[in-house]
Amino acid sequence: MAALRGEVSWFCCGSAWGPCGTAGGGACGTCSSGNYQHAWPNTSDACLAITRPDRCGVTGMARRGCGFRHYTTNLCNGARVGTTIADCGPQTDLFCGERTCCGSACGSNRIIDLTPAAYSAIASLSAGLRPCSVDTV
Amino acid sequence: MIDLIATLQPLVVGAVLIWSARVKLVSTHAAAAANRSALARLVGQDRALPAYRLLGGMEVTLGGLLLLPPVLRAEALAATVLAVAFLGYLAYARRAAPTSSCGCLSARPTPVSGRSLARAGLLAVAGGLALLATEGWSTALAGRPPAGVGVLLVELAAVVALSPELDHVWLLPLRRLRARLTHPLRGGSGVPLLATVQQLQLSDAYRRVAPLLRSDVREHWDDGDWRFVGHAARYQGRLVTAVFAVPLTDREPDAVRVAVVDNATGHTLLSLAGTPPAAGPRLSVVPA
Amino acid sequence: MNQTLDRRRLLATAALGGVVGATGLGSLAPEAAFAAEPATIDSGAPDPNFAEGRISKISGSMLLVTGSDTVLHSIRITDGTSIWKLHPTTFDKVAIGDGLYARGVRLPDGTLAADSVWLNIVNLHGHIAAVGRNVLHLDHQGRRIVAHVVPDRSAAVYNGTPAVSDLSLLRVGRHVQVLGAWHPDTNEVDIATVYAAA
Repeated sequence: MAALRGEVSWFCCGSAWGPCGTAGGGACGTCSSGNYQHAWPNTSDACLAITRPDRCGVTGMARRGCGFRHYTTNLCNGARVGTTIADCGPQTDLFCGERTCCGSACGSNRIIDLTPAAYSAIASLSAGLRPCSVDTV
Repeated sequence: MIDLIATLQPLVVGAVLIWSARVKLVSTHAAAAANRSALARLVGQDRALPAYRLLGGMEVTLGGLLLLPPVLRAEALAATVLAVAFLGYLAYARRAAPTSSCGCLSARPTPVSGRSLARAGLLAVAGGLALLATEGWSTALAGRPPAGVGVLLVELAAVVALSPELDHVWLLPLRRLRARLTHPLRGGSGVPLLATVQQLQLSDAYRRVAPLLRSDVREHWDDGDWRFVGHAARYQGRLVTAVFAVPLTDREPDAVRVAVVDNATGHTLLSLAGTPPAAGPRLSVVPA
Repeated sequence: MNQTLDRRRLLATAALGGVVGATGLGSLAPEAAFAAEPATIDSGAPDPNFAEGRISKISGSMLLVTGSDTVLHSIRITDGTSIWKLHPTTFDKVAIGDGLYARGVRLPDGTLAADSVWLNIVNLHGHIAAVGRNVLHLDHQGRRIVAHVVPDRSAAVYNGTPAVSDLSLLRVGRHVQVLGAWHPDTNEVDIATVYAAA
C-alpha cells in the first residue's frame, strides 16, 4: 500500500472513565485506550458500509483485518507510531473534504483514529486533528 | 367509539408494517442498515441481511393481509405477536448492543431509544385492539368519516412523534427555527487559543522545533499584539522552554518566532525569527 | 506572581529576539540544531510511558491514579508538566476523581514523570439533537450528552477553517466532533473545540 495522506484523530475504547465507558473493546474486541491500536475504515464490508471513504474520493484504502499493523506519521513533527487495528472507524464520510495543515503539509479526509496512548505519542490530545500519512512499513 | 377505533387498527398496523418493510426490501441502504442493527449481533454478521430481508417479507405480507379484506382475527393476532416479538427484540438490542441502530422505519442510523420501544408497544396495543374488530376498516371509515379520520390522524401523529427516524422531517426543522429566532449559541469574542496554536503550527518555526517539544501547551499569555505560547522541551540534554510568539490578530504564520530558553540559567539557547519568504535561507538561526 | 511575570518577560523578550549575550552556540545549521533525540515508537501493546485512569489521591506533586484496568500508577507532576483541563491550567486545578491521560517518562522506580497530563479530556462524535442557551445536546452512540459552551474558551472549527470563538454557525441535525472536558460529577461536558463538517 502506498502511503495514504489524510487526517488522524483519536478515540477512546476499552473499559475507561467518562463517556468512553460504553465504548467497549471495539469491533475486534481487543481495543484499549492504553494500547498502541487504531481504528481503520475498511476492516470488513459491514465496516466500509458505515465509514464510506469512497464518498469523499478516498481511494487506496486497503481491506485490513483486526491486528494488522499500520504506521502513522504526524506531518507536523515527523513523529511516527506503529499501531494495530482494533476497531472500525473513523466515519470518513461525515467530514468529507475537511483539511488540516501544518506548514505546507496538509491532509484531507479522516482516514485513521488512534487510541489516546498512540495519538499522544505523536501529537497532543488537545489538538484533536492532525495531518498524517499512513503506511504499512 | 371503541368499536370504531378497534376497526381502524388493521389499517394503522398494516400501513406501519408496509412502511417498515419498505426500507428492508427496497432501500439501497438495506445492507448497511442490517449491519448496523442488533441483528448482526443476534444472528451473526453474515446472516444479518437475509434475516433483515426475511423480516421485511413478513411485514409486507402481514401488512397487505391486514389492509385487504376480509378481516380475519388470525391476522390481527399475528400482527400482535409480531409487534410483541419486535418489542422484545428492541429491549434486547438496547441492553446487549446499545450502540446498534434500530433499523426500524428507515435506513438512517437511529439508536434504539425509549421512543422506539414506546412505538413498538403502541403497535402491540393496536394489534390487540384489532382483535376486537368486527367489520372492515373501509366500511367503518365510510360510515363515520370525520371521527374515523380523526382517530387515524391522532394515531399517525403518535407514530410520527415516537419515530426518531422522522425527527429530521419535523422536529429538527422546528429546533433549527427556534435556534434561528433565539440565537442560543454565542461562544465568546476574541481569538481562541486554538486559533493561535493552529497558526503556530502552520509556521516553519514550529515545524523546526516540533521534534524538541515534550509537553502540550504549558502556559500562554497575551502581551500587546503578540500571544506567547510555552511548551516544555528538551534540547541537547537540557530541560528548556520553547516559547513561541504568535501575532494575535493577523494571520501571519511567517511572522511566528520561537526561542529555546534554558530553564536552569534563563539563557536563550536558540531563536528562530520568521523571515521573509522567497530567496535565501528561509530561517535564520540567531546565535543568542 | 512577580516570579511568573519576570519569567514571562524573560521568555517574551527571548522569543521576540531581544536577548544578547547568552550562551554562544555558534551558527548551527537549523537541521543540525533540531535533529532532536528521535522517539522511535513501535508496538501493539501497552506503552509504559503512558497512563490512563482516575485520580484517587493527590500527595504533594504526586498523583495516584487507578487505571481502568485496575493497575495503579504514580504520576509525578514537575515544573515542566503541561496540565490540560479544558485549557492549559495549573496543578491546583487537579482534583480527586478526575479522569486522566498522562504521557511522560517511566522512571526506574515505576513512577511516571509526566510531560503532559490531560484531565477529563474526551473526544466525542455525535449529532446535534438540540441547542439551548449555550448548550448542545448531542446524540452520541444512542445516548444523549449535554455539552456546554464556555464563553471565551470554546472554539469552533468549521470544516477545517481557522478556529473561531463564534459557535453560532452550528446547526441542529449536523454531525460534530467535540473535544472537551468531562465533568465527573454530572457526566456532562464542557466544549474546548467543536469540529463541524461543511
